[in-house]
Amino acid sequence: MLTLKNICKSFGGSVALSDVSLEVEAKSITGLVGPNGSGKTTLFNIISGIYAKDKGQIEFNGENIDRLSPSKRAKRGLSRTFQVSKAPEKMTVLENMLLAGKNKTGESISGTLFRWRQTSGIEKRNLRNALKLLKLVKLEHLANEYAGNLSGGQKKLLSLVRVLMTDAELILLDEPTAGVNPSLTRELLNTIEELRKEGKTFLIIEHNMKVITAICDKVYVLDFGKNLAEGSPQDIQQDERVLRAYLSGKG
Amino acid sequence: MEGLVRFLTHLAILTEIYGILALTLNFQFGLTGLANFGHVVFFMLGAYTSTILLLVAHCSFPVALLGAIIVSGIFGFLISIPTSHLKSDYWAISTLAFAEIVRKVFYNENWIVGGGYYRGGAYGIAGIPAPLDHYFSSGMYPFFYLAVTSFFLLAIYLLLEKLTQSPFGRALKGIREEEVLSEALGKDVAVFKMKAMSISGALAGVAGSLYASYMGFVGPDQFMPLVTFVVWAMIVVGGTGSNRGALLGALVIQVFYSSTRYLKDYIPIGADRLASIRMVIIGVLIILTILFMREGLVEEKKKHYKL
Repeated sequence: MLTLKNICKSFGGSVALSDVSLEVEAKSITGLVGPNGSGKTTLFNIISGIYAKDKGQIEFNGENIDRLSPSKRAKRGLSRTFQVSKAPEKMTVLENMLLAGKNKTGESISGTLFRWRQTSGIEKRNLRNALKLLKLVKLEHLANEYAGNLSGGQKKLLSLVRVLMTDAELILLDEPTAGVNPSLTRELLNTIEELRKEGKTFLIIEHNMKVITAICDKVYVLDFGKNLAEGSPQDIQQDERVLRAYLSGKG
Repeated sequence: MEGLVRFLTHLAILTEIYGILALTLNFQFGLTGLANFGHVVFFMLGAYTSTILLLVAHCSFPVALLGAIIVSGIFGFLISIPTSHLKSDYWAISTLAFAEIVRKVFYNENWIVGGGYYRGGAYGIAGIPAPLDHYFSSGMYPFFYLAVTSFFLLAIYLLLEKLTQSPFGRALKGIREEEVLSEALGKDVAVFKMKAMSISGALAGVAGSLYASYMGFVGPDQFMPLVTFVVWAMIVVGGTGSNRGALLGALVIQVFYSSTRYLKDYIPIGADRLASIRMVIIGVLIILTILFMREGLVEEKKKHYKL
């Protein structure tokens, strides 16, 4: 579904990624791990179009998406969350959710002014969906609260369910469980597995190895901006190169 | 007594015209987060386009008004093409520059308004006709004009309120709050910004057209950058993000601005010094609002959904 070939990216003189290749299969949960500074988030930014790559190829559903803007990539079904949760703070939790929901008619000026019946129909459907998702992560009682008033963990949860509103086929999650309490983490992982069964695909950056082993089919390890290893979570944990990279902080 | 009524009517008309400017700037900054430091350009283009259509092309007022809407709307669209990717501070500076460029063009090129001695350019253009004025006595006409400006102010308020509350407005608000996130959620930020600029530009053009016909005169000195800052004062004091706040701010600032003009009759300071003091006081008002009342007089409406 998503194929990266030999992605390179440097910022000024410092090389962030060199020749990183990766393949995410449809309906899989793929993990992306690596020590801090190994280039995971940079790779996410390149996949989602926020940074331009220097070299390499990005294919999504067999099409080259190199030149598309982030919003066009999102419209094709590729959405992401951010490591430091971004939440429009002076919008309520529900507004956050509805912002992510698709309402093409409602977001056009003519739709707003002349096709209000269609607009409000879609809006109602999105609203139901949003409330269902909020219930799932136990945020429904905060639906009319400003997102800026949520705790860090709650913002994380919000960013997860918000990205689910987009209807994306491939969802990139940047540390979805960081700062979330253990019982909710389990809940979150269950949700992700459920969604995979419904046909969604995930690429997840995660530091928590328990999370990785619990849900990932395949794991890629990055170190110093390079592919270090790939394989099943079990294999990765036995891999000496990976252990060395994580434990010594040096390759 | 009659003088007072005349003054109050004049004040109300100006407040309503500035109210339109405040509403449209609020749509750009309060809702979309676009800090436009050259908002006066739409006012100016509306006023000049309307004047040219009335005086040079001899069109009727509705046609002149429509022309003002179209020209200032297109200008809003055009300036957002090269600037849509700029970060807010750079964007603000570029809008200031655009407004001054347009003003200088009107200042230096008198052929735009049909040419002639002592006409156009720095001299400005006088004798702009007011709509339907031959149906009213000169004493009654301001009341009619007040009705006209009230109609447009109300229509624009309702339109912008409708857009603000819609999914379209929500997307604009999302851009104000988190541009990168909005883009990642599939909102084409550049296109939304262009739409916001075109709509609010077009509607601010209405204010220009109404102003030109009310004053009967337009000249480049009426559209100094200072005008933009007075409108900014209105939305900051009134409360950014709130359409009602913009209207209230327009009222407060315009009343203060116009009524202090007459202070020179009562306290012994020269008129030019008073003008400067007035601006100082508006500046202090902005600072006080930002320090002690960040939300302004009216807070942004929180959208409450029934669950």
